[in-house]
Amino acid sequence: MSASLAVPSNVLPSVRFRRRMALLVVCCASVAAFLIYLKVDPIEFFRDFHFVSDLIKQMMPPDLRLLWVKHGLWTSLLQTVAMAFFGTLIGSIIAVILALFAAGNTSPSWALRLGVRTLLAVERSTPNIVVLLVLLIAVGIGPFAATLSLCIGTVGMFGKLFADAIEQVDPLPGEALIAAGASRLQVIRYATLPQVAPSVVANVFYAFDVNLRLAVALGIFGGGGIGFELHLAQSVLRYKDMLACVILILVLINVMERIADALRRRLFLQEV
Amino acid sequence: MLEVKGLSKRLPTGKTILNDISFRVDKGEFVALLGASGAGKSMTMRAIAGLTSVTAGEVVFSGESGKCYTTITASGKTSGKDLRRARRNIGVIFQGSNLVKRLPVLDNVMIGRLGRIHPLRSWLYGFTDQEASEAMAALERVGMAGFASRRTGSLSGGEVQRVAIARAIFQRPLLYLADEPVSSLDPKNAEAIMQLMQPLAREHPILGAFHQPGMVMHYCTRVIALHKGSIIYNGAPNLSAKQLDEIYCGQADRPEATQELTAAAES
Amino acid sequence: MTWSEFSFERYRRYLPAAAIFIVAVAASAYLSEVSLTDLRRGILKGLSLLTLFFPPDWSACKDMLQPALVTLVICLVATPIGAAFSIVFGLAAARNIAPEWLRLTARTVIAVERGLPEIVILLVLVAAFGLGPFAGVMALAIGSIGMLGKLLADAIEEIDPRVLDAVAAVGATPWQVIRHAVLPEVLPALVANSIFRFEVNVRASVLLGAVGAGGIGYELDAAINQLEYSRATMAVLMILLLVFLSERASDWVRSKVL
Repeated sequence: MSASLAVPSNVLPSVRFRRRMALLVVCCASVAAFLIYLKVDPIEFFRDFHFVSDLIKQMMPPDLRLLWVKHGLWTSLLQTVAMAFFGTLIGSIIAVILALFAAGNTSPSWALRLGVRTLLAVERSTPNIVVLLVLLIAVGIGPFAATLSLCIGTVGMFGKLFADAIEQVDPLPGEALIAAGASRLQVIRYATLPQVAPSVVANVFYAFDVNLRLAVALGIFGGGGIGFELHLAQSVLRYKDMLACVILILVLINVMERIADALRRRLFLQEV
Repeated sequence: MLEVKGLSKRLPTGKTILNDISFRVDKGEFVALLGASGAGKSMTMRAIAGLTSVTAGEVVFSGESGKCYTTITASGKTSGKDLRRARRNIGVIFQGSNLVKRLPVLDNVMIGRLGRIHPLRSWLYGFTDQEASEAMAALERVGMAGFASRRTGSLSGGEVQRVAIARAIFQRPLLYLADEPVSSLDPKNAEAIMQLMQPLAREHPILGAFHQPGMVMHYCTRVIALHKGSIIYNGAPNLSAKQLDEIYCGQADRPEATQELTAAAES
Repeated sequence: MTWSEFSFERYRRYLPAAAIFIVAVAASAYLSEVSLTDLRRGILKGLSLLTLFFPPDWSACKDMLQPALVTLVICLVATPIGAAFSIVFGLAAARNIAPEWLRLTARTVIAVERGLPEIVILLVLVAAFGLGPFAGVMALAIGSIGMLGKLLADAIEEIDPRVLDAVAAVGATPWQVIRHAVLPEVLPALVANSIFRFEVNVRASVLLGAVGAGGIGYELDAAINQLEYSRATMAVLMILLLVFLSERASDWVRSKVL
């Protein structure tokens, strides 16, 4: 008891304190260095606070009269939802079909499987904005380009996920069907898809959530919808309108989240 | 040295959790609280440590120096500062699962000293090397010195229970409270933990809640039995099978049974 | 099952739902101006554009390095700043730490930050600070606070209250409980989430860059607007490389830290 044991050096308080301090200093120094590199001065934010206060003064109060004065606004809101909905729906359908080709246990040939897998991997890592900018040239400015790029984004986001889910399906029910003389498509319809359906449905809801935000974002680049209205208000310096748009976006996303939640609950209750 | 006077706790619904609990624990004693689940053992412990509010009662304890500490005053409210001052003199041996799982074992032991060091220092610097070597000594006493740098979450049930005891030892309290320290352990480990606690009781009294009457008879110096929030037995630890049956099987609802038990305790 | 056994009755109860669904699809198709002629024309036009996009303008590679670095640095600054502030918001939004009024305030702020896409935040910030990396850093940091703060608050609320009681029982002050029990339990998860958030930020910063936060996203937008398509391809390649590298790097850090 009296002869005290040596404390292991990796838990010795003074050593750990020094190590922590070193880490903290390195982190702070690198953040500071990065800020200098970007020529960003965070202190200026407080010194020149009048930028912020001016903006707030110009934004207040939000011009919510827009809702009934400006007729196109409701259409814009609906358009954003429509883009997200349509993009998610078609994207998910394509993703499931491609996933069937990309999964080892359902794909007709390994070459096709490899090709589809590569395609999915490329789509997965391509940022949405790249797809959108290319599509804006190809199909022209408008919500259709944004919807298409949401489709492609959804395929990229979930194609691989679905393919992995399909590969992890329990093979026994399918084998039983084959033993009973079922064709390959019948096995997919009656054994494979029912097993992945819950995870697909859950992911489709998640995709809609992501896509709704993206639909707002892509709208800013000429995809239409409420994002475009926001960008317009900002670029013509109508800050009261801009704040109204921000509030509408917030409400829209919140309301859609609730609706999706309610739908999801009903759907899953029905299945159980 | 620990005096509990008239501890009562009633829920707003009218249900009685603790009913006028009074007892004393003196120097050198290893007192066991026995009783079925829900009899009020844990609640008594929590009340003594000031972790729960009570309807009435007082808890006072003191050390060699004679200085008195209270976690629950007769007047009701204890100030946060007084409560902390009292708490740092009570070493609560929790179930081992209540340790901070992501910290190394040594840090979990050193937490025992938090009440005694300046809050600002513990925030900005942490503990000192001196405290670390004292914590090592506490770990050595429970046979866990070799585990000092292990992550607490990776230890087995018996090992974390030893660390929990080391935390209480390192705290240098005037009194130990042990809330079911051996309940989640296999018999062999439970035996080992009891053997660790027995010598501790000679330094500072231990009040523990247990579910193992056999072990209690062997190691403890006194038994206090609770039933539905009331004390029904307070006396020697060697209980007969009939007495145990009455404590655990609700026989004590009959007033004559309580009288029998009390008489047995006095004899 | 053969066709003769097919019964319409079986599907009758799904009819209203199906009708609503079909109407919704049709309405959304109409609103988002879906047109198959546009699609066909777009595909043809896209194929002919391919010759303009390829081969990439390799000589532009040199010009792209600096913007790519700017994008990377924006994320490297924004993620740790966001993570640091998310500790404050996470603690303030946890039921077992903060008083009710503070918790509700913090939860509301976090919900607003999470609800708004980063780009909307960016547009507002640009209105205040003008174009440039500062607005980009702020927008990404605010977005990171929203996500990391919520995850952290949820993680803190999941801590076993008995663990915290045990620390309070040795006489520790509430702040000591936070420092010695709450933070050690949740910080590793925060680090893991921050690394994940870094990946998300890299993708998002491309988008933000195109609106005016600078960096590689801006280069891409500029190249396309000036019809320099092969230069744009180079920017896309650079973006893919950046995303790929950030994924590798965060995988590596994750394996080191956890």
